[in-house]
Amino acid sequence: MFKKIIAKSMSKSPWIYHVNTGSCNGCDIELVAVITPRYDAERFGFKLAGTPRHADIVVVSGPITSQSKDRLARTLEQVPEPKVVVSIGSCPQSGNVFKGSYSVEGPLEKYTHVDVAIAGCTPKPEAIIEGLYKAAQILQEKREAMEK
Amino acid sequence: MSETVVTMLTNAFSVLVFPGLLFVMIVGLLLAGIDRKVLARMQKRKGPPVLQPFYDFFKLMGKETIIPDAANRRVFLAAPIIGFVSLVVMVVLIPIGGYTPFGITFNADLIVMLYLLTIPAVALIIGGSSSGSPYAGIGISREMVTMMAYELPLVIVLLTVALKVGGGSFCFSLGEISAWQETNGALITHWELIPAAIAFLFVIPAEVGTQPFDVAEAETEICEGPLVEYTGAPLAMFKLNTAIKMFVMTALFTVLFFGNAVATEYLALNALIVVAISAGITVLSMTLAHAVCARLKIEHLFKFYWTVVTALAAISLVLVWCL
Repeated sequence: MFKKIIAKSMSKSPWIYHVNTGSCNGCDIELVAVITPRYDAERFGFKLAGTPRHADIVVVSGPITSQSKDRLARTLEQVPEPKVVVSIGSCPQSGNVFKGSYSVEGPLEKYTHVDVAIAGCTPKPEAIIEGLYKAAQILQEKREAMEK
Repeated sequence: MSETVVTMLTNAFSVLVFPGLLFVMIVGLLLAGIDRKVLARMQKRKGPPVLQPFYDFFKLMGKETIIPDAANRRVFLAAPIIGFVSLVVMVVLIPIGGYTPFGITFNADLIVMLYLLTIPAVALIIGGSSSGSPYAGIGISREMVTMMAYELPLVIVLLTVALKVGGGSFCFSLGEISAWQETNGALITHWELIPAAIAFLFVIPAEVGTQPFDVAEAETEICEGPLVEYTGAPLAMFKLNTAIKMFVMTALFTVLFFGNAVATEYLALNALIVVAISAGITVLSMTLAHAVCARLKIEHLFKFYWTVVTALAAISLVLVWCL
């Protein structure tokens, strides 16, 4: 019974940790807009965690720069299992306008498995909420897979 | 022989089910949920469901528990349990409508309460310091300053109540304080104790550690301070401790300032009344302050408690002493 409650709770209380890997700050602002009273992602249980140790969902924005590459890897290692990685914006997927720069070492797929990719430059808050909601469902599936 | 078995079973029931472990877990998490929901409504949001803290608790129970290399393994894992046990002991000591599971035989349980109240904060401090993180270091130093800040007005408020009930001498028995109010009216209706009640309302959010007095766990500046390295079940225990502290502090307020004046002869109804008053005080002292104030700096917090709140408590003490 407890296993079922725990698996169900996984999708009801996902805590987010946000990593900026050289983003232009656009996606970061849209992510903050998601937790404001207007869009209020807290109604699904979303909460911004202060440290990767408390996180369930890691949100990555920005094309991975050489400076942030190692920090990103170290942050992802600190997140306890089960965890879900969400990329936000076009930059982590393709490099976007920064593609070809000497200091950009994307895409994000090279360094970790990406569960949900929210495209757009920048994605609308509604799109971000939908992506995060999908990520929460994946979190529950990962927990159920861990049981088996 | 059979009598001892029955007493053992009833004692085990009161520690594990009512008014101990199970009751306090459910009520504490429910109060935390009401706090979050009402806060959201105050900010014109829909807000999380009232059961959100239960989801958070069970989710954290299912997460991996990571123990950092720099941490002292045993202390790191024992700290949340020490805090939890002391909180459950406190709940068993609080009379609910004049009922305490082990009888009103204590004549100084208010003093015991004062000591037990510091243990969850100390547990947080030792847990944080054993985790070996510099963020936790800043957090525990702030936690200690916060403790010093609210302890002084808290002690003065308790002295005021004890002096009022004792009538010339001090009465430190929670059961007697509760029973005194049945004949003399609730202490909140005595005008000279109203400043003390307000001071106690200010002590509650600092003790529980909610905004604007959560300087020790400021997640946006020092990554939740002492909790920075905690994951999984130990973190769930700390979150549970915070929720239970909400109930313990508000129930203590109910006993000190309402007591048996609001009690009926049915225990279940009394428990409901205490929970309802606790929920009201939670909204009044914690949610309202959270909705209107931003987080204070640590020196402002210290100054506020040692001037305004202490003065309020001291006014009450002097009034009770002179009248």
